Amino acid sequence: MDERRNEVIVEVAERLWKAQFSGQVCVAPSEDYPKFDVAAAYAVQNQLIQWRQTKRGLAGPRATRVGHKIGLTSDAIQSWLGVSEPDFGVLLDDMVVLDGRSACCERLLQPRVEAEVAFVLGSDLAGPGVTAADVVSATDHILPALEIIDSRIADWKITYEDTIADNASSGMFVLGNRPRILKDVDLRLAGMALRKNGDVVSTGAGAACLGHPINAVVWLVNKLAGFDQKLEAGSVILSGALGPVCDVEPGDWVRGDIAGLGSVSVRFQG
Amino acid sequence: MALEDKILDELATVVDEAARNSEPVKMLTADYPEMTLEDAYTIQRRSMARRYARGESLVGMKMGLTSKAKMEQMGVHNPIYGHLTDAMMLGDGAEISAGDYCHPRVEPEIAFVMGEDLSGEVGPREALSAVEKVCGALEIIDSRYQNFEFTLIDVVADNASSTGFALGTTTAKPDELELGNLGMVMSVNGEVVETGSSAAILEHPARSLAALSAMLHERGEGLKAGQVVLAGGATKAVHVEAGDQVELEVDGLGRIQLRVLQ
Repeated sequence: MDERRNEVIVEVAERLWKAQFSGQVCVAPSEDYPKFDVAAAYAVQNQLIQWRQTKRGLAGPRATRVGHKIGLTSDAIQSWLGVSEPDFGVLLDDMVVLDGRSACCERLLQPRVEAEVAFVLGSDLAGPGVTAADVVSATDHILPALEIIDSRIADWKITYEDTIADNASSGMFVLGNRPRILKDVDLRLAGMALRKNGDVVSTGAGAACLGHPINAVVWLVNKLAGFDQKLEAGSVILSGALGPVCDVEPGDWVRGDIAGLGSVSVRFQG
Repeated sequence: MALEDKILDELATVVDEAARNSEPVKMLTADYPEMTLEDAYTIQRRSMARRYARGESLVGMKMGLTSKAKMEQMGVHNPIYGHLTDAMMLGDGAEISAGDYCHPRVEPEIAFVMGEDLSGEVGPREALSAVEKVCGALEIIDSRYQNFEFTLIDVVADNASSTGFALGTTTAKPDELELGNLGMVMSVNGEVVETGSSAAILEHPARSLAALSAMLHERGEGLKAGQVVLAGGATKAVHVEAGDQVELEVDGLGRIQLRVLQ
């Protein structure tokens, strides 16, 4: 089994890699590999990140890790996927879009946008046993963020394992440029309004993200401990959506406002 | 074609009795498919006249269908309004009885208390300048139609499902808050059931107030100083049942609670 397991991990990683860089969505791994489990899914994710860091024949500079994203942080999405915990993915520097600038749609297959709180750490955080108080002390500042999620899997028909393998359906992300101090903002009650082409398309509040965005970061760091990993000073954590996602198309522009944190925006190149 | 005056009177009696006795009735448009929105607002006013005759008094207005999702769901482009009376007012922490309602649901809202009269076609800024204070509110809505079947016109005739409301005791002046994006978290029995933002209310609650002023103006009416305006729900309405403790928290506006008894 173990040898076959490693083969499966590479096969699934190849499938997702090909989808990402050919621009053609693929069939969900869970459809072809019924025994594909959560551990294997995180192994695929790890393989894909390694390949991106070494470029594997692609042009351009090597990608560098800049942080993590936490996904599936709402009760609604967890119950839809039949799970009771979030998942995480890795953020790379080549996923960054600057605030107010354009995202290149050629790199995206089925993009959707959600507004989130980004944590930027001032010191390392290592689980297990990390509490909300540790997260507060380790956080240097918070920023409003837009996450452009994407799926390499056809029609977003994903299972929990599929999305984990696909780097938690990450695509690109945009950070606002005005830092705030965590203790100055009541994130639980912070309102969120997402506008597409000027119209409000999604609204929510901090409590939508695991009850409080800090809870999501606590989950992440304790989860990473199981992989012998920690969060490093300077890393960025996208903590999870504060309301429903919205679909986007080339030509759209999106702005997220989070009360107390300000706004962040992106255009999708037509 | 508008309904005859006599029929409007009859239908006002039907919806008023249904609300008064919590006894659901067949939707009005089933028998009167030609009923117009104008007719529905006339029925609403005549049903209110019956309430005033029983001693209730008008304390304000409520807006409904203020979210894009709800308007799309009902296939309309404008919100609707209803009238609020003193008999519908509940205090923060009030207890209500499930048996007094047909299909009770609760919505998290932003409420305005008017400091000045407001009428006519006004913009959101002008509308807001007539507001004395803002607070959070829980609105209980209840449809008096059987099987929860109705059209938009039926809802308007049924006073936009108005039933009860509780205002928060924490208040603020409109300019003391980021009124266009207040986080709102509604819990039932300690579990968060809905999260939202005041941005869902026509993108800004002040727009809802301005829209109300414009709609009342069509009938030569306006808002009076001291009246309450429920600007609209920030999330889906939540079904409640006996035993539920409902709590709304609004950023900067504290919390409001209701308990549902048998």
